[in-house]
Amino acid sequence: MKKNHRTRFLKAGSLALATTLMVSACSSGGDAPQQNKGDSAENQASGQPVTGGTITVAFDREPDTLDLHKSTGASVVDEIAQFMGGALLYTDPVSHEVKPYLAESYNISKDGKTWTFTIRSGITFQDGTPFTAGAYKATLDRILDPKTEAKGTLALVDTIKEVKAPNDNTLILELKEPFAPLLGNLTVNGWLQPLSMQAIEKGGANYGRNPVGLGPWKFESWQPGESITFTRNDQFKWPEPFYTNKGAVYPDKLVAKFIKNRQTMMAALDSGSIDVATLVPAKDAKKYKDKENFEVLEQMKSGMGMYLHMNQNNEMLHDLQVRRALNMAINKDAIIQSALQGEGVPAYGPLPPTIMGYDKAVESYGYKYNMDEAKKLLDAAGYLPNASGVREKNGKEMQFMMLSVEARSKESQLVQAMLGELGIKVKINTMEQGAMMEAELKGDFDLAVGGYSYFDPDILYLFFHSSQIGSFNFASIKDETLDQLVVSGRTIIDPEERKKIYAEAQKRMIDQAYLVPIYVDKQFTVVNKRVKGVKYSIDRLQLNDSWVSQQ
Amino acid sequence: MKQYLLKRLMSGLIVLVGVSLFSFALIHLIPGDPVRIMLGEKATKERVEQLREQMGLNKPLVVQYVNYATGVLKGDLGTSLKTSRPVSMEIAQRFPATLKMAVSGIVVAIVSGVIMGILAAKYKDTFIDYAIMSMATLGMSLPSFWLGLLVIMVFAVKLGWFPVAGGTGFIDLVMPALTLGVLLSTTISRLTRSGMVEVLSNDYIRTARAKGMSEGIVLFRHAFRNVMIPVVAVVGLQIAALLGGAVIVEQVFNWPGIGTLAIEAISSRDFPMIQGIVLFMGAIYVIVNICVDLLYAVLDPRIDYSTSKGGM
Repeated sequence: MKKNHRTRFLKAGSLALATTLMVSACSSGGDAPQQNKGDSAENQASGQPVTGGTITVAFDREPDTLDLHKSTGASVVDEIAQFMGGALLYTDPVSHEVKPYLAESYNISKDGKTWTFTIRSGITFQDGTPFTAGAYKATLDRILDPKTEAKGTLALVDTIKEVKAPNDNTLILELKEPFAPLLGNLTVNGWLQPLSMQAIEKGGANYGRNPVGLGPWKFESWQPGESITFTRNDQFKWPEPFYTNKGAVYPDKLVAKFIKNRQTMMAALDSGSIDVATLVPAKDAKKYKDKENFEVLEQMKSGMGMYLHMNQNNEMLHDLQVRRALNMAINKDAIIQSALQGEGVPAYGPLPPTIMGYDKAVESYGYKYNMDEAKKLLDAAGYLPNASGVREKNGKEMQFMMLSVEARSKESQLVQAMLGELGIKVKINTMEQGAMMEAELKGDFDLAVGGYSYFDPDILYLFFHSSQIGSFNFASIKDETLDQLVVSGRTIIDPEERKKIYAEAQKRMIDQAYLVPIYVDKQFTVVNKRVKGVKYSIDRLQLNDSWVSQQ
Repeated sequence: MKQYLLKRLMSGLIVLVGVSLFSFALIHLIPGDPVRIMLGEKATKERVEQLREQMGLNKPLVVQYVNYATGVLKGDLGTSLKTSRPVSMEIAQRFPATLKMAVSGIVVAIVSGVIMGILAAKYKDTFIDYAIMSMATLGMSLPSFWLGLLVIMVFAVKLGWFPVAGGTGFIDLVMPALTLGVLLSTTISRLTRSGMVEVLSNDYIRTARAKGMSEGIVLFRHAFRNVMIPVVAVVGLQIAALLGGAVIVEQVFNWPGIGTLAIEAISSRDFPMIQGIVLFMGAIYVIVNICVDLLYAVLDPRIDYSTSKGGM
């Protein structure tokens, strides 16, 4: 069984609305190929690790707070907070299986509503308090307590009805209803890490700038607008089993530096001011592939890079033949070549290959570029070109208003040209992301450029279940067959069963051509070879085996 | 004098009320519900309403503005939606970095601008003049982000003299100060030159030279003092702009100042923060302008505010 659960907040409803959207949940991998092409970690780790030095990692955003429960949910918070945390479960980077971590073992009752965890002993928080079932209950209770006003984190655990800790080693989660994505959520070592209640009490309102975890790195200081510095937790001896290093980390310090300007970040990397640049765009990453002093880690994004929503309230787009025609008129490869320098893969369904449950069969039965066929479909549907070459039916021209954002302007223009060839007039309406989402929520569009970051096929529920109309189901898709499938997908716990269900769901969505999948893009991390043993898996840096070589 | 100051302060206050009204209105006109942003899309309608009430956002706009204004008068600029910390505290934390960069940038600009301007005027219509003035024109037309990146490429990446995005220490200050200095010195040097050219042709300069005074004294004491008023006016405006955060230069050098804070606030739709920064920038402009006007009197004894009733 191969699976890979991992939770994260949705990075994008329309595109990268990371900071505003709070949907949870997870899981990736599936039958997907391992994408860690730059994975020369083994070769790199040749030579004996040495203690000392500082690793500086650049991020393009700054966390709002490190009081995780109060964060608005930008993914950068999770990416940084994981350095000082851990989770009940973890995802094996190779097998993509969910395995126990801070919990020794776990058991899910037959009805899927009672989850029992045995908590490891001998683990302490960085302030010296012991980590127990009670401590994790306190953490979860704090999230669930309305007084905390938890934001992003709440979405990860809001299916939990009650948390019990009968003794130091037993943690019981009672769920409102069976909810499969919770398994992946519980592997999120940033958001859902255990917190020391003593530190929260002591820190008061300032706790968010002085957090305490139980992970390999201890929070030291925060220079607003500049950086967060962590020091080594010397007590740490409980890494996830996939690390070679079983004890404390090697470097003395870890600095998370915030550099918003991309060129500045790359110049900082060139000049040696930083060691690791995260989320590097394809065109920048390419330059480092041939540089001797740098290593490029490459990974397929855990989500869809680009697709088109088709508003079902538009009469023309309600016609299945029209939706199929649109699917066939888009040349995905041309868009990937032109907009992504070739660094992406064509998408054929609503899920990316990185998500558990992705059905490889979509690549064969999904729509391929075929302009002639597309034209025939529109002819058959009664839309014929008029004198100016635009298709029309009953005197109504086929014109669509397409919402897009600046970051997708190139792609949007290509789509416009391709649909133009088909005889469809597309007007691009480029908006700022917040405004675009508002328009989408109101349904003020015909076509809309979409994309998301997610780790569980449950995204299909959030985006396409009819109950989500008025929310993320922007296109107002109402399909009973699909509704049933995506509901079973979230309530049935068995991963093999889930895969079958989601294969069905993908088939249904493609058959009904509910969206136009375009591409899945890649993520790049560039590392100065001065730092050894850096790995990047499932959207986060793994630094426990990393060390700084003496030059 | 006191009366003048009072009058200026009053008019400054009116400007600030205008600024606050404008920023308040602007924020309520653009799309995006702050409460939804705070709670996220999954929040229930009840929670949204509850928080809206808590924040007073369900009240009429006039009431909201009055509440805001009362808070401001008490020094409360509101709470950041992003960090949940007081806006005034966030601004206070970033201001020293901005101040450091502004002061060092303006010092570089004044020193280099004035020297170049005087030299160009003294050697008017010679190669030196042409060289300096074409450099000034070039400098004026350079986009700041481009010059900033160029400075980084040369001094940090190629030569390795300075760190990129290091911190806010002295060594980190060199590149941004140099960039700002070059950009701002262009206006100063052009102004200085044109003023000096005019002054140097005056009779009293000829007299001073005829008396055998050294050229330095002639240029700086006799000539330059008379050119200073327009230069001070421009420098004043530049300082005001810089103290509000040199947004682009701060971005390029990853400088944790007000400009960077403003960009972050805008991109995360942190309305109270945006309002706070706009108001803060407005206040800086008002204060600096008053200071500049007062400085005129110091520089030019002919300007006397105590007797001014119309005229100068």
